[in-house]
Amino acid sequence: MSNTSITAVSHKGQHPIDSFFPPDSMPSVWCPGCGIGTIVYTFVQAVEEMKVEQDKICVVSGIGCTGKIAEYLNFGLHKTTDGNVITYAADLAAKKQDLKVIVFTNNADFLVASAKNFLDVGKKRTNLLVIHINNVIYCITESGAIPTSPFMRASVDNDFELPFNIPHLAKSSGARYVARWTPLRAGWLKYSIIDALSKRALSVIDVVSPCVMYFIFASKIGDAADQLRFYSDNSVMKQYEPTEHLDLRSQSEVIIGKFVDKKEG
Amino acid sequence: MTVDIHIINERCKGCKICVEVCQTNVLDIAKEPNLSGYNPPYVKALEDCNICGLCEMLCPDFAIQVSHIKEENK
Repeated sequence: MSNTSITAVSHKGQHPIDSFFPPDSMPSVWCPGCGIGTIVYTFVQAVEEMKVEQDKICVVSGIGCTGKIAEYLNFGLHKTTDGNVITYAADLAAKKQDLKVIVFTNNADFLVASAKNFLDVGKKRTNLLVIHINNVIYCITESGAIPTSPFMRASVDNDFELPFNIPHLAKSSGARYVARWTPLRAGWLKYSIIDALSKRALSVIDVVSPCVMYFIFASKIGDAADQLRFYSDNSVMKQYEPTEHLDLRSQSEVIIGKFVDKKEG
Repeated sequence: MTVDIHIINERCKGCKICVEVCQTNVLDIAKEPNLSGYNPPYVKALEDCNICGLCEMLCPDFAIQVSHIKEENK
């Protein structure tokens, strides 16, 4: 690259995607190195690439760190109460057929509080994209085991529950598009979001994202960069893997990729 | 071709993900902290940049922008 010329690097000014955020909303509340920021940037890039108008998109989110996403985006937003996020989004998608409804949920919203509502959504073939940010821990209570926590984590001695398999649940409840990524595979995640948004059916994307504050202390991995590297070293891509094998295990690798991609009909 | 790495110092939270993912070691951590008390990255060797855009893609705080401007041949 011999023609490269060095230009002055300015330290003031705005990011090009700042038109997607309300003015003066940055910096965000998320912890240093949190995977949610990467996922939000990837989502915004996907929307920008699809050239959808900002009023044709509605973001619904619930509680917790993930619930803050709707407040930071300039789309139509709904911040709902605990346990009602899937119901609210499904009603919205059924009433407004031209709207693209995206749900950002975490484990507490999705499995603990509204699993029954999710089964209904799959049965009725609602046009909905569920992006499930799976950080395998309760952030607020610091080390509580959630339904997708890996079996027998090192930190919690009395954690003997088997992890829940979210891609299998999504496939069996009728989702047309199921994928799982980590935030380090942001390019794959972007094209996955574009694929899922162009379908008019239920699609579920499970993003295994690090919780830099609490899962680090629990699992003694390191800081944010170390944890991202841990997730990249311990993930293996297997496209169209049968969804029965996709639960998170503490001793083996995280399987990522696209698992279900059905045509409409 | 002109490369520009634009770092917004006030937004950085010092997670060092950009320094870790850079394959050609363009970025490094500055010694002076920003207003929030975190040490932001600075551009150490811009001529090594191959415009992969990984630092921009993975920054969780929307603080880096990598742009390249194609100039017309003279």
